[in-house]
Amino acid sequence: MVLNDIEIMFGGQAGDGSLTTGDLIAGTFKRMGLEVYTYKDFPSRIRGGHTNYVIRACEHADYGMSDHVDGLVAFDIEAVEIHAAQLRPGGFVLFDNSSDAVPEHLRRPDVRWYEIPLAKIAKGDLGLEIVRNTVSLGALAALIGMDMEIVREGVAGAYRRKGEKVVDLNLRAIDAGARYVADHFAGEPSGYGLVSKPDAGRLIMMGNDAIAFGALAGGCRFMAGYPITPATDVLEWMAQHAPAYGGVVVQAEDELAAINMVIGAAFAGVRSMTATSGPGQALMTEAIGLAGVLEVPLVVVECARTGPSTGMPTKTEQSNLNHLIFSGHGEIPRVVLAPCSVEDSFYITAEAFNIAEKYQVPVFVLSEQALCQSKATLPELDFDRVSVDRGKLIDAGEVVFGEYKRFAFTEDGVSPRVIPGVPGGMHLEAGSEHGEFGVITENADNRRRMMDKRMRKMESMAADLPQANLRGDDRAHVAIIGYGSNCGPIRETQERLLERGLSTRFLELRTLWPFPEEQVRAFVASADHVFVVENNYTGQLERLIRYVTGPLEKMHAIRKYDGRPFRPKEIIEPIERVAIEELVEAQR
Amino acid sequence: MATLMSPKEFATATPAWWCPGCGDYGVLSALKQALAELALVPKDVAFVSGIGCSGKISGYLHSYAFHGVHGRALPVATAVKLANAELTVIAAGGDGDGYAIGAGHFIHALRRNPDVTYIVMDNQTYGLTKGQSSPTSMTGYVTGTSPSGHPEAPINGLSLALAAGGTFLARGFSAQPKPLVELLKAAIRHRGFSVVEVMSPCVTYNKINTYAWFKEHVADVALDEGYDPASREGAFAMLNRSDKIPLGILYREERATLEDLSRLPDRPVTQQPLDGLEERFAALQERYR
Repeated sequence: MVLNDIEIMFGGQAGDGSLTTGDLIAGTFKRMGLEVYTYKDFPSRIRGGHTNYVIRACEHADYGMSDHVDGLVAFDIEAVEIHAAQLRPGGFVLFDNSSDAVPEHLRRPDVRWYEIPLAKIAKGDLGLEIVRNTVSLGALAALIGMDMEIVREGVAGAYRRKGEKVVDLNLRAIDAGARYVADHFAGEPSGYGLVSKPDAGRLIMMGNDAIAFGALAGGCRFMAGYPITPATDVLEWMAQHAPAYGGVVVQAEDELAAINMVIGAAFAGVRSMTATSGPGQALMTEAIGLAGVLEVPLVVVECARTGPSTGMPTKTEQSNLNHLIFSGHGEIPRVVLAPCSVEDSFYITAEAFNIAEKYQVPVFVLSEQALCQSKATLPELDFDRVSVDRGKLIDAGEVVFGEYKRFAFTEDGVSPRVIPGVPGGMHLEAGSEHGEFGVITENADNRRRMMDKRMRKMESMAADLPQANLRGDDRAHVAIIGYGSNCGPIRETQERLLERGLSTRFLELRTLWPFPEEQVRAFVASADHVFVVENNYTGQLERLIRYVTGPLEKMHAIRKYDGRPFRPKEIIEPIERVAIEELVEAQR
Repeated sequence: MATLMSPKEFATATPAWWCPGCGDYGVLSALKQALAELALVPKDVAFVSGIGCSGKISGYLHSYAFHGVHGRALPVATAVKLANAELTVIAAGGDGDGYAIGAGHFIHALRRNPDVTYIVMDNQTYGLTKGQSSPTSMTGYVTGTSPSGHPEAPINGLSLALAAGGTFLARGFSAQPKPLVELLKAAIRHRGFSVVEVMSPCVTYNKINTYAWFKEHVADVALDEGYDPASREGAFAMLNRSDKIPLGILYREERATLEDLSRLPDRPVTQQPLDGLEERFAALQERYR
C-alpha cells in the first residue's frame, strides 16, 4: 500500500473540464492535510486537442512532480495512448469506457484497470453528460481513499455560485462515481491509500496569483501588460484586485506600450510593474535600458516559456536567463530574482519593489510556466514580513530649484528622486546621457562618473538582495545548484539520495543577478562534484557559474529542454551514475 | 483669465538648440506662451517627448520633462496621467515619432482618450538623421534613402486620428504664433486626448515644404464661414482637401476620458496608501484556503 504520496493525471480534450476537476482534487488533497503541487500540460488552444493536468500530493512541502504517474484518469483512448507509458508499475488507470474499450495493445499488464462508463453514468443516471468529470472524481476518491466529506465540501464550494441545482447535481455525481466503484471494484483495491491530517490553515495558490498578490502587498499600484501565456494571470489578478486599493491596470496595445507605461507611471511616482513572457520580454528590451539610465524603479515579471520565437507557449523552460541579464544595448544596473516556490513568489515579488525603488533600477522576477501556472500548498502569508521602503523618494514637501540634483553623484550611487508635482524639482529625465541636474551632455568626465554612479548600485544593493537557500548537508561532497521550478524536484532528489545513503547539498539561488559570485565560488570550491540543473540547452546558469569558477572537471550538467519540468529521477540518475563511477574507481 | 505667469517661467537655463530658422522654435515659444496664459505652473506640467529634432523640445521646457525612447511618448504620457491626474500632461514628437515608429500608440491613445495633449511637429522629413523621407514626405521627395524620389504616399495624420476616435484635432503653423498659441490653449483645456499637428518646416533638409510653400498652401478653417468642428463628416472632408492644408480646430467632441472610465480613485494613484493594509490582505487570502 502506497500511503500519502500520489500523482494523479487527468487526460482528455482541452475544454472538457479537467482543469476544474483537477483543481477540485488539489483542493481536496490540501484539505486532507497533504502538500500539493499541480502541473498544467495544456496545448496552446482553447478547445480540443489533448491536454493533461497533473496533481501531486505527498507529505513534503514544495516538491514538484513525482517520478511517475500513479493514477491516470483517461477520458479517451488518446489519453491512454499518450500517457500509459508514464504510469508507475502498480499504478492504475481509470478509463471512461462509455464509447470505446481499451485496445488490447495499450493495456499495460502491470497496472490496474478500472473501466467505468463515466459519460453514460453522467448522462443516463444524472441527465447531463458534462458532469462526467465530477463522476470521475467520485470514483477516484473511492479508489484512493479520499475523504468523501471533504470531496463533497469542495464540490459544493466550487459550484455554489452556480446555484443549488448545480451543487446538488454534482454531489449526486460524486456519489454515483463512488457507488460504481463500491459496486464493481470492492475486491480490487488500487494499492493507494490516503490518510488525512489537519490542514493547519494552509493555502493553495497558483504561482502567478502569488506573484500578483505579492506585488499588491509590496505596494504596486500600476500595472500595464499585454496578454501572453503564461503571464496573463498576473494581469488579470491585478485588474481584479488593484482598483480596490487605489491602483490602476491597463491592457496595453503591445509590450512596447506596456513597458513604457510602466516607466511613465513609475516616473510619476507609483510602484509599477508589467508581466510578460519571452516574446514580450524581447520587445521590452529597449525601454528597460531607458529605465536603467533614467533610474526609474520598476518590476518586470517574466513568466518564462519555451522559446525561441513562439516556441511552445504553454510549456516551461529556463532559456530566458541570458536575456534578462544581458539583453539591451549599453550597460545598466539590473536585478534578476527567481522565486523557488509558490510561497517564495509572494515574498520575493513584494521585496522586488523595495529593491527597485531603493536602488532605482529595473528588477526582474523570473518565474517559469512550471512554477507560475502551478498551484501549491503554502502556509498562511505573513503580511508583517512585507514592508514598503521607498528609499530616497521625495513625494511631498519641496526641494530647492537650482540646488536639487536628480542624478546627484552619491556614495551608494542612488540619488534623491523627486516626482512631478513637488515644487522646485523640475528637471529633465533623458535617455541621453546627462549630468547631475539631468541636462544632456556628452562630456567625457561626466559620462565616466555617471556610469560609475549607476553601476555602483550593483554593489550597494548587495545586502538587500534575497539570499540563496543552502539545503542539505553543507559538508556534502556532492553539490547541486539550481533555481526556480527545479527546486522542488531537487529537494526531492536530496531526500531520496539521503535515504540511499548519499548526502548532498543544494544551493537554491534566489538572486541570479547580480550573480552571487563569492557564495557560488565557495560552494563550488569545497565540493567534489557540482551538478547544475537547468531547463535549457546551452547551460545558461552553468555558464554564469563558469565565469566565476573557470572550467572545472567536476561540473556536471543536468539539462532538460523538452518543455516539461524535471521529474526527480531525471536528476537522481545522473548524480548516482557519477557517484557509482567514483565508487568503482575507488575500489580499483 | 488672469495672466500672471510669464512664458519665461517655462524657460530652461539650457538654450534651445535647433538649426537657425527651424520651425520647432515657433512651437516651443507658442507652448510656453500657452502654458503661461493658462496660468499653469512648471511643477504641475509633465512634458514627454520622443526622439528626433522635435524630441529635443522636452529639454527646453522648464517642467517635469521626460525624454524617452523613439516613438513611445504616448504610452509614457498616458501612464503619467493615470498615475497623477492632477498633472497637466503634454507629449510632443515629430512626424516620424508619431506617424512611423509610434503610429500604433497614436491610434490607441486616440481611442483611449486620456486627458493628454499631443503636439506633432511635422517637418515632413527625418531631420536629425540628415534628411531622409518621413511618413508625411510628399511622393517624389528625393533623399538619401529615396534617390529616385520617395515612392510612397504621405500619411494624413489628422484624418487617421479622426477615424481612430480623436476628440480634439487641430493643426497650426509654426510661423503663425498667435493662432498656434490659441490652438495649444484650447487643446490643453480640452478634456480628453487633443492632437495639435504643427507644420514646422525643416530649413536644412526639406527644400520643398518651406515657409514660403506653406504660406501658399495653408488656409485657416476659421475663415471658412459655417465650418462646424463638431461634424465628423465635415471634418473628414476638410482634412482631405487636396487644394489647401487646413489650419485651426478641425474637430472637437466631448467623450468620457480614459481616467473617467478607469475607476481611478478620487485622489491620484501616486497618493494611495501602501501601508496598514494587513487586515484587508488577510481577508483577501481567505479565498485561497
